[in-house]
Amino acid sequence: MTPPELLNPTMSRRVFIGATAYVVSVPLFASILKTDNELIKIIDKGQFFTPEELTILTDVAEIMIPKTDTPGATDAKVAPVLDGLMVTWANDQTKQQFKTTLMQINTLARDTYQQSYTGLGCADRQQMITELDKAAFTAQTTQLSINYRRLKELIFHVFYSSEEANPDFVLIPGHYYGDLTKSQFEKVKRGETL
Amino acid sequence: MTEEFDVIVVGSGITGGWAAKEFCEKGFKTLVIERGRHLDHPSSEYTDMQAPWQLDNRNMAPEAYDDEGRYAMLKAKKGKLKTDTIQFFADDKEHPYSYPEDKPFMWTRGYHLGGRSITWGRQSLRWGPKDFEANAKDGHGVPWPIGYKDLEPWYNYVESFVGISANKDGIDALPDGDFLKPFEMSCVEQHVAKNMERAFKDRRLIIGRAANLTEAKTQHTEVGRSPCQARAYCQRGCTFGAYFSSLSATLPAAKKTQNLSILTDSIAYSVDYDEHKGKASGVTVIDAKTKQKRQYKARVIFLCASALGSVQILLNSKSQTFPNGIANSSGAVGHYIMDHITGTIGFGDVPGFEHKYSYGRRPIATYIPNYRHEPSEQVDFVRGYGYQATAQSRKMTGTTAKSVGIGAAVKAKANKIGQWQFKALMYGEMLPYYDNYASLHPTKKDQWGIPLLHIDAEVKENERKMIVQAAKDLKEILAVAGCENTTIREVPADRHIVVGNRTHEMGGAVMGSDPKTSVLNKWAQSHDVANLFVTDGACMSSCATQNPSLTYMAITARAADYAAKLLNQGTL
Ligand SMILES: Cc1cc2nc3c(=O)[nH]c(=O)nc-3n(C[C@H](O)[C@H](O)[C@H](O)COP(=O)(O)OP(=O)(O)OC[C@H]3O[C@@H](n4cnc5c(N)ncnc54)[C@H](O)[C@@H]3O)c2cc1C
Repeated sequence: MTPPELLNPTMSRRVFIGATAYVVSVPLFASILKTDNELIKIIDKGQFFTPEELTILTDVAEIMIPKTDTPGATDAKVAPVLDGLMVTWANDQTKQQFKTTLMQINTLARDTYQQSYTGLGCADRQQMITELDKAAFTAQTTQLSINYRRLKELIFHVFYSSEEANPDFVLIPGHYYGDLTKSQFEKVKRGETL
Repeated sequence: MTEEFDVIVVGSGITGGWAAKEFCEKGFKTLVIERGRHLDHPSSEYTDMQAPWQLDNRNMAPEAYDDEGRYAMLKAKKGKLKTDTIQFFADDKEHPYSYPEDKPFMWTRGYHLGGRSITWGRQSLRWGPKDFEANAKDGHGVPWPIGYKDLEPWYNYVESFVGISANKDGIDALPDGDFLKPFEMSCVEQHVAKNMERAFKDRRLIIGRAANLTEAKTQHTEVGRSPCQARAYCQRGCTFGAYFSSLSATLPAAKKTQNLSILTDSIAYSVDYDEHKGKASGVTVIDAKTKQKRQYKARVIFLCASALGSVQILLNSKSQTFPNGIANSSGAVGHYIMDHITGTIGFGDVPGFEHKYSYGRRPIATYIPNYRHEPSEQVDFVRGYGYQATAQSRKMTGTTAKSVGIGAAVKAKANKIGQWQFKALMYGEMLPYYDNYASLHPTKKDQWGIPLLHIDAEVKENERKMIVQAAKDLKEILAVAGCENTTIREVPADRHIVVGNRTHEMGGAVMGSDPKTSVLNKWAQSHDVANLFVTDGACMSSCATQNPSLTYMAITARAADYAAKLLNQGTL
């Protein structure tokens, strides 16, 4: 079910591109960049998702966590990891829920723009997902809201647990310091002794 | 494997490892019986060398576990089931226990070689003289038959082998030992500690006392241990052997002697009793895989299967002399079940340190020892509480995974280094109540035909009053600490507090001088059966406020020394 506020034709058409321009990263699956609407179209079938679903997933994840001066969701292989998790982690209900969510996003695109999600221009896709995000946390009881929030949480989890999102992660710090100035902190991070 | 030994130790966790080491080093052929699987050290099951992106399923346990109702209590405890450590916890679906419907009890177990020594938090605190005097003083529970002085040399003994990093704080309630150098307190913790010392006569914030090697001495390197690398991944197992576990420390020491035999996948079903000799003759085990029963004989039996595990074995060991379970002429087996209680948590931001940073992950928190031993006019409860506290690093700003916001602007602010925050969690002493008890379920059995342990325990008025006062005290502490945006959470008086939640379950075979009211004497030796000892948490007559495992270790080493003397004298 689509939340009513998203079906509202007066929905703001403000383009929501975020702070920086859209920068394209290449996912693990074989793909082509549709230059007309800057969409990465996935050609491969995943272990669980269809190419069409992976295309939406990759795009939605990148809208949520775009590449900026730091890596984005596509760089962090969020869609392929999520595809794998559907096989190794998700139960049947979650599998169904995620398929449904991607389908609902497509339906939302059709209802709002009279076009499939993958047919939308880049700005419209970003605007739609941004509005969906707002609506999902306002009207929390609709099925779309529940499904979207779950998908978002997982996308964030996969991204923020990725190597790309954790460039400062140190497996073996070797020592704990609790009282460092900024310059001492930077020095220790570089592996230099104090 | 020969089936006759000098000593049988049931359980290979913190206490079983100690019993095994002590007996083996004293030259006794020792058999350790462990219900769980074998683990090497380092083990292929350790995940401490994995980065977040390398953990199975990005550290999420398969959802099928939820569907199948597996690890339900662990989930209740931790909120989420994670793949980095789940292998070191027992699944209560596979290993069920029972409790009254309205009084859930949390029994967190680790069924594998090493037991919960793999996953423990390593906070290693001595009890103070007043802790051993409390029962006699206020009349709750059975008076302790030992005092601090009896254990002091054994604290020294176990601490030097374990390697405890700590500061000598000079606090009566928390006696000092011969420690390794302490971990550093963060700038904010130092600030809070100073403010507390200035403002209060009684409350002190100190660095936690960790069973992690800040430096490796000969007795540590001899068994292959090396210093802590400040990763705080201890629960995943430590390839460096930097924290104390049976796998890294006591079992390797025992193995070196060639006196150790270990039997894994073998569930101690009962301690067998020889009616003619009036002694325990050995242990009957059930093979966890084939479900076949076997018997092993020994001159001395040490039960170290964890407090409730040992109670279950005692109650299930029925004979003509002991129809209600071995060593149970008093009827006290199973009674006085305790755990630490927490019902108050508080936290707040500490401003003024925005220019300061931390590096590394310290594997221990800070600690506020119990300052309420003495009755005071302001309060109407007995005993007291301390707090586990921390401000070891700045909070991260987090992400909008569960709130509105996506896109570049949101991403730019996500997971950045944020404010310093100080938080503290109360650890209160639960009184030893006779009617908090564990018994064998009359009808329900596990897949090995062993009656389920039924645990019926609740906190009462004294603990509820403590929680209210602990919240008031914490408010004062946070104010003195200079905290802003403070939050104090207190469990409402009408909400059930799940006993067992702190994983410090104790009692069930308490020590005491009177065989009519207690199960064990001052050596943790059965009053009824001279060659049977119970040295895990079951023997504790009260629970104090300190994390208890160091005290179990001291009691175990002391009991083993005593039993060894009796063995050498031929008395056992
Ligand atoms: C997450 C966590 C954090 C903790 N933090 C701290 C802390 O900071 N400080 C502290 O002092 N304590 C802490 N504890 C508690 C500590 O782990 C226990 O007090 C300690 O492990 C008890 O030692 P034990 O030998 O009695 O039992 P365990 O270590 O649990 O070992 C018992 C062993 O007996 C085996 N066993 C059980 N039944 C049978 C049977 N029938 N037959 C054969 N074998 C059997 C089990 O498989 C297990 O290997 C923590 C525990 C957990 C889980």
